[in-house]
Amino acid sequence: MRGGIAVLGAGGFVGSRLLERAAHAGRTDIVPVVRAARSVGRTANLGISHRFGDASRAETLERALAGCEAVVNLTTGDPADIPRTTENIYTAALAAGARLLVHLSSASVYGAVEQPDLPDDAPPWPGHWMAYARQKGVAENFLRERMAERRLAIVVLRPGLVWGPGSPWVLGPATDLLRGAAFLAGSGGGICNLMYVDDLLRGIDAVVAHREAPSGFYHVGDNETITWAKYYGALAAGLGVDPETIRAVPSDRYRTGLRDRVDELKALPIYKRARAWLPVEARAQIKRRLARVRGRERPMSSAADNAVGTREIWHLQTTRYRLPTTKFRATFGDHNMVPFPVGMAASLAWLRFIGIGLDEAA
Amino acid sequence: MPGHSRPQSTGDFNRRSVIHSAAPRLDIAVIGCGAAAEGLYRYALGALESRGIARVAALVDPNPVRTAALQRHFRAARTFADPADAFASVAVDLVIVASPPGMHAQHTVDALAAGSHVLCEKPMAIGAPDAERMVAAARVARRILAVGMTRRMYPCLVEAQRLIAQGTLGDRLRFTYREGRVYDWPVNSDAAFRRATAGGGVLTDIGSHVLDFLSALFGATTATSYADDAHADGVETNCRIEVVCPEASGVVQLSWNQPLVTRLRITGSAGELMLDPGRIDALRVRRGGGTWETRISTATWPSDLATRGRGDTPRTHRDCVYHQLVQVLRAVTHGEDVPVDGERGLAVIRAIDSCYERATSFELPWLDAAERSQADARHWTRRRCAAA
Repeated sequence: MRGGIAVLGAGGFVGSRLLERAAHAGRTDIVPVVRAARSVGRTANLGISHRFGDASRAETLERALAGCEAVVNLTTGDPADIPRTTENIYTAALAAGARLLVHLSSASVYGAVEQPDLPDDAPPWPGHWMAYARQKGVAENFLRERMAERRLAIVVLRPGLVWGPGSPWVLGPATDLLRGAAFLAGSGGGICNLMYVDDLLRGIDAVVAHREAPSGFYHVGDNETITWAKYYGALAAGLGVDPETIRAVPSDRYRTGLRDRVDELKALPIYKRARAWLPVEARAQIKRRLARVRGRERPMSSAADNAVGTREIWHLQTTRYRLPTTKFRATFGDHNMVPFPVGMAASLAWLRFIGIGLDEAA
Repeated sequence: MPGHSRPQSTGDFNRRSVIHSAAPRLDIAVIGCGAAAEGLYRYALGALESRGIARVAALVDPNPVRTAALQRHFRAARTFADPADAFASVAVDLVIVASPPGMHAQHTVDALAAGSHVLCEKPMAIGAPDAERMVAAARVARRILAVGMTRRMYPCLVEAQRLIAQGTLGDRLRFTYREGRVYDWPVNSDAAFRRATAGGGVLTDIGSHVLDFLSALFGATTATSYADDAHADGVETNCRIEVVCPEASGVVQLSWNQPLVTRLRITGSAGELMLDPGRIDALRVRRGGGTWETRISTATWPSDLATRGRGDTPRTHRDCVYHQLVQVLRAVTHGEDVPVDGERGLAVIRAIDSCYERATSFELPWLDAAERSQADARHWTRRRCAAA
């Protein structure tokens, strides 16, 4: 009898959608693993049992992964913790006797895709300005070394921007468009390397179903080549936003703004310590006062809190090439079933569901 | 006191049983030392102690780690694993019931029988029969039963009530109330996600507040339709309710896993109003399609037990917890009304029960056709139908 498939990070955006699809498909082999009881809340409607395991504490993982033949790592969290949690998950998967570890990395480890035939196992860019990308790269390097040991199969997936209903890459641009804060680098001709969430999950299913999945790095992405102008244009059209309100900014240099400085401040350990120490109410008060200083109302939406970094978006908009995904399709098959217009329609329907674009003009 | 309509009295028996003292210092027990006690009540109780208004005399929780953690802040408090032991050992004026919702009824009834007044955290109970039992016990014991609905203390609610009463919005009022974000309350177990222990999901949790808030604005709420997304062994993480009140009608949408644009929007024949429960002191209003104007409310609530004491405007949710507690203590000492009494709490529970009784499957737009069909087939009401 086959063992279960442990899903770490089951309380996140991709993980919760994985659980939802599995529950509707009647699957019983998925073993969701979450760090805290509150993470169960996101999928409490499904009524499925969870195991508890904290990827930052190796001793909690072994029990959580017991009896699982495959481990899917979808954890996110503090960038500084990514290498350690990756090591812990690998060690626990090995101890549990799993045959396969699927690790969700990110194409952001490269910075931008600067060549058309970028190899799937190209090394990460260690000097990336973004801590998340740097630490994902460190985790990849650790797994690259473990692959050579051949103690279990390790499949590292490198998607671009995972989009679709629930994605920050839909919500962030949508709220920017509605606020009049959206921009395009140059003419918007940069390539937006998208990966539709359900197609990514079908890809993960295919990897897990492969009885002898070859260890390695694999780019994954949508089949179409979409520019940022097309992506923003489709969102704007669906939201009823005049595309003329999208600002054009230079694509050859990035001018650091207040939001970037705030993001840099947020990455400092002292900020993180202060944030942990300050009560939620005090943090909310500070945010409100800062908004007043900047001369604008605090957005009356919890949805708008989920913004994506401005510099990150600019950087991604300078991407020149589509991520090549030939290796994944040749190894595991083509499981992309959602064309761009269908994914966009679903994303817009989700935005309307959460109340975005319905009465935002107010 | 804010100039809005006050909750109805809990009955004359409450006034006859109140404590009269020139400078009372009341003893309080807390049953349940989990996330609600730690995250909501600890600061308010600390402030009451530092002002000499009240003292935490007992902390009760079966988990000694939790009582010990809270006792660090209330050195004089005795700790107990069992409420019965606490009631037998310590006589307190007020018991705060902050245990899991499934235990609210028994803990409240026992506290009332022991002679204490009770402030029960929301949801008051996980079904009308339990809530009715609590109200009846308060009546028999001639003690106050208050329900923790801190949003009643929001200054923006007072301002919205004033604008509606003045007719600023005109008539034919319609509302849309959305509230949702990814669940992040620091619960210690998954009991909050099981129907047997929690009674339900987001409707029972956030919906308790929302239905009470709407009733404070428009009168008693009646659900005319209700849909949610719970499977047979789960609780709802998304729901949609069509609501009718004496003064308005509208739609409520709640979520535990979607970042809803959280706001209450009311439209009438003469104007519109928007209110964000995340910002407790402000709302926006416009007349006849004009420009939006932000109103900051300065409504105040008493800050202590003095008959003519000072009042403060709550600025944070924690302030509201404090003022609610003060108001309950003023009910104990001076016979004033509590923000939400047991009868009003019961009305909310009946409204929630009525939703669950008429539940249908909520069509989530991101599911494909096959998933929607499965969601419908696995909906929790199917099991109820099968059992019937």
